Amino acid sequence: MAGTPYPKQQLHRFAYTKLTKEQIAAKLAPVVLKGPTSMSPLAADFAGQTLSIVTDDGPALKYKFTSNGRLSLSENGGKPVDAGFGALESDNFCLFTHLIPGTQRGYAVVIDRKSKQATVIELWFSGYEDNREVQRQIYFGYVDAGGEAPKGRHEFTNRLEGRGYHWRQDNGMETLEYYPSAGYSHFVELSRTGGELGFCAPSDYVKLDNDYILYTRTECEFSGTFTAYAIDMNRVQQLGVRLGFDEADNLNYSLFRGHGDVTGQIAHFEKFEDNTGDPIPGPKDKDGKPVKGGRRVYRPIHTMEKMTREEVAKVVKEHATAFPAHTTTGGAAGMSQNALPASDYLAGKTFTLRYDHGAVMEYRVEGSDQLNWRMNGGDWVKARYQAYEAAPGLVLFGHLLEGAPDHDGHIMAVDFHQGLVTCYNGYLNTPYFANEAGARTLFGVLEMEGLQPPQYRRHQRTTEMLGRCITYSYAPGLVSMHLYSTPNTVSWIIFTPDQHGGMEWSGPGDFVKIRDGIYFMYWLEEACNGTLGTVLLNLNIMHDAGIGYNCGTRGLNMSAIGAIVRHAGKFDVDRYFQIRT
Amino acid sequence: MSKQSIATRRMFLKCGALLAGPIAAASVPALALAKERSDDGLKARVMRLENEAAIRELHRSWLRRINAGGGMALSGASVRRVTADHADVADRIEIAEDGHSATGRFDCAVEVQSMLPDDFTLGQMAHAQGSGTLRTTERRVLTVEYLKVDGAWTVQSVTSEAR
Repeated sequence: MAGTPYPKQQLHRFAYTKLTKEQIAAKLAPVVLKGPTSMSPLAADFAGQTLSIVTDDGPALKYKFTSNGRLSLSENGGKPVDAGFGALESDNFCLFTHLIPGTQRGYAVVIDRKSKQATVIELWFSGYEDNREVQRQIYFGYVDAGGEAPKGRHEFTNRLEGRGYHWRQDNGMETLEYYPSAGYSHFVELSRTGGELGFCAPSDYVKLDNDYILYTRTECEFSGTFTAYAIDMNRVQQLGVRLGFDEADNLNYSLFRGHGDVTGQIAHFEKFEDNTGDPIPGPKDKDGKPVKGGRRVYRPIHTMEKMTREEVAKVVKEHATAFPAHTTTGGAAGMSQNALPASDYLAGKTFTLRYDHGAVMEYRVEGSDQLNWRMNGGDWVKARYQAYEAAPGLVLFGHLLEGAPDHDGHIMAVDFHQGLVTCYNGYLNTPYFANEAGARTLFGVLEMEGLQPPQYRRHQRTTEMLGRCITYSYAPGLVSMHLYSTPNTVSWIIFTPDQHGGMEWSGPGDFVKIRDGIYFMYWLEEACNGTLGTVLLNLNIMHDAGIGYNCGTRGLNMSAIGAIVRHAGKFDVDRYFQIRT
Repeated sequence: MSKQSIATRRMFLKCGALLAGPIAAASVPALALAKERSDDGLKARVMRLENEAAIRELHRSWLRRINAGGGMALSGASVRRVTADHADVADRIEIAEDGHSATGRFDCAVEVQSMLPDDFTLGQMAHAQGSGTLRTTERRVLTVEYLKVDGAWTVQSVTSEAR
């Protein structure tokens, strides 16, 4: 029986081995003289050639290629060392890579044989607290052939920002890759992990010329693997290199070719004359100079608060807050300035939400912020709530379930015109961190006097949002863009002050169609603050209503979120998520 | 509409003291002229104009000080720049009858910088990428209370109101 491609643990859950320097050295040693593997034929025109590369503020590299698989290198005039290498070529570009004996370093070099310009990527292990995370430093320079040095250089660019590709590589890897940022990227491994979730990585984008762009990513927070490839944007082909250790700690040092399809191009938001890249300034040393290999990386697993069940129980008992009373919209997290006004639509109403194969929730709503609920005929409980009328007769409301063993919260989209409800049931005490929210999606009906709910019809999960990018303007200066990269993933990108796409992260999500143009979605910040964020998005008015549910050391909190939205575009990726046998 | 106070009294007193010398010196010829004519109405008018000029200069000095990074605060955010809005209503300076206090109202654009909170994911990401500050420009009217101390005008308080 054929197996499924789905991993037992997704990338953000896998406990990668903390490899020691010695372990890494031992794994690199056998490969240094062999060079990278490749499924495609390697370039065969290097033997007997010499190459001198000068870089700006970087190393001077003198190569002598003794064969098509072996070179000697002198760095900065130093003693030559021998190493195995591999090269791939396309048009006037060649990409070659090698490691350096006795070190944990190596290079990936891209040369434009026509313009004589060069991009040198120095790579090394054991440069960060997690030794397996590959570090990189990019230098721009030229091939010194004895004549006048070219004035131009390859340069960082935003020219790939907003593009998406489906790639199929010669090694069997099939991916969807999204570049919604000029400093990060998002990748979905269709072949290796089944494409359930997409993940984000800090990235570089280098303009080689108008036809080729060099892209890199480092899988920080995950395996630490480094990938770089040059994209022939006319033919939609790639040639690249991968260096890193997989989940089984096997070294992957390989060259690859691939071909792809453009899945789309969404908007980007810099000024029209701004084509610059590298928008996230790297860290500097005490003298103000850039730190070699330094880059700003979002590392949420490092920074998130991690609590035990006992700690969660204590903090919830002491500090459980729903919609803080000091603001009309209740937002405590800065994401509510543009929220819809709270509604009194529910005030005075008595109704029941009957979930399929689930709870029966009865409500007596006293006013615009107080209600009484009871589950399955139990005792009535008073709770603070807030409601937002996202469209006529369509209400989003939420409240905490005081006394629930997992400190549940219910966030519901209730359609009073159709008698339908969808509930995102947030809860704590989840397996990895007790304060990390989990979510259940409950479908059901609304029962109240004078309203006959449907017997068979329900809200439905949808893929209509798949591939879309929506910007959410929560407050002045606080904008993020959602990218719905898989049927189960929400990724979010924030912007730099000059409107480049900046840092990006992602988590699992769910998508339910409520009405035409109206979608109820959630994202879960797994291994990243643990928040459950819900969005009732009304594309008819380009506004959403949302409610967040979060537990940290300051307590359990339910609060409003809301934004004015824009549609940034859509990637055409539906066909990659069809279930086929 | 919000009304907020800006900065500390000490800073404005210091600013006023710096200006006291040159303003006093500049006023001598005008005073002499007024005395020569011994016309009470004209004398009062000259005094008023003289005071208004001194207050305007004090206000310009205050603006320069802020725009040079004087470290003012407004509603929890730091003021980065205050720019006079000459296209709007002209500056209004009202001097008390006793000539010892005055109120100035100045239309301006105030650029403030505040820190994004870091207790939620988007804020953390913004700080992580080095852009965790938020700059906004607001059209405001500054109301400045002045007091004459030892012959020199000093700033007593500044409040601002959204326009």
